[in-house]
Amino acid sequence: MHALTLRTAAVVVIVTIATFVPRTAAAQEYEKWYKQSQQQFNDLKQKARGGTRMTWDKLPDWTGIWTHDGGTRFDPKIPNYQPTSAKLTPEYQTKFDKKLADQKQGIEWDHLSYCLPAGFPRWITEPFLREFVVRPEEVWWINEQQSEVRRIYTDGRGHVPEDEAYSTWTGDSIGFWDGDTLVVHTINNKEGQYNRGQPDYSDKVSTVEKIRKVSTDAIEDDITVYDPLSLVEPWHVVNRYVRVKTPNLRINMWSCEENNNVVKTQDGSTQFILKGEAGYKDPSSVITGPGGTQAPK
Amino acid sequence: MKTVVVALVSAAIAGIGTVGVSAHHSAIAYDRTADIELMGTVREFQYTNPHSWLYIQVVDKAGQTVDWGFEAEGPSTLLRAGIKVSLLKPGEHVTVKGHPLKDGRPAALLVSVTKADGSVLSTDAALRRGPGGKLLEAP
Repeated sequence: MHALTLRTAAVVVIVTIATFVPRTAAAQEYEKWYKQSQQQFNDLKQKARGGTRMTWDKLPDWTGIWTHDGGTRFDPKIPNYQPTSAKLTPEYQTKFDKKLADQKQGIEWDHLSYCLPAGFPRWITEPFLREFVVRPEEVWWINEQQSEVRRIYTDGRGHVPEDEAYSTWTGDSIGFWDGDTLVVHTINNKEGQYNRGQPDYSDKVSTVEKIRKVSTDAIEDDITVYDPLSLVEPWHVVNRYVRVKTPNLRINMWSCEENNNVVKTQDGSTQFILKGEAGYKDPSSVITGPGGTQAPK
Repeated sequence: MKTVVVALVSAAIAGIGTVGVSAHHSAIAYDRTADIELMGTVREFQYTNPHSWLYIQVVDKAGQTVDWGFEAEGPSTLLRAGIKVSLLKPGEHVTVKGHPLKDGRPAALLVSVTKADGSVLSTDAALRRGPGGKLLEAP
């Protein structure tokens, strides 16, 4: 009985400390922004009365092959390498200014050249072919580049519990249907850039998307981006995907290592190793691996 | 029998078109304000991701045969522009335009390939032509 009293007292002390000791400003800021995106998602869900109970016969027809319209811009109205429409924090504005200045000096590197994935939300802007696999409980949004798949769970589940969550390339996406509009909340992303010539975002970035087919040949993604570290206010953009009608076209397995002879220079820029030069990885050497290097005997 | 090829290299050929490399690397290594045009024979067409590379053999002014590499988009982007892997075969005579590397090595960003029959292959729709250089109808 005495031990139980002590344990109860200890719990009370821990709860009291956890409640009243101020958390760091960054943590508070993150929570505020995270709540904003979660709040927008919740508001939309409430407005949709919990979302449309989707069945196979009600699913919209998003079949076909699609591609991002307007190049690799995140804000379709703003060309890359131009001032952004995002309201950046001073730290990220400085980073963006430096990126543009470096590019003018001939210095530019993209982590994709390491054959790493684009990451989300940059994923939105990548070119190449796309496909949607729409099921009542889940939507797969496939991108040819790196053979990536975004899985959007629409079965009513919540996000991965906080103590199990970690940053991933496509984030953790949950959603619901509001009629034929797919509403998606995405968190747990890795830091990255919206694309070359565009700003960076932090791993605290989260998004709310409203995706719907606006015509026979166009699907629209209405996106609001939240990021306490890079943005001073949420950033709203609308991206569009258009139907690709090339006959016989398929989405095939896409391996970045198949033919990647891009290297980072000492000054942090981009260069190529050409056929016949030292270090060249020959794409035809499938058996021995890129470069034709054989394992030592 | 050794293939005889003639090289035409010219700097700053005005208005030969622009192409984008939007896949997995910056195009900063290329001088997109400069253009080259080379005649040669196809040595290899690497129809691959993340980029395709067309290698042609060119005889330079000193009479030496040099391999020139032209970087293009990956297969699905090329297919959308009508550039099938079967259209460029080793040994075939071609004239290739591109934006060269800034450092002078023999490689360029591909702009267009003109085949012996006059057809022009390019991801830039404005440059594409059918056999005999005929304008193509919009898809």
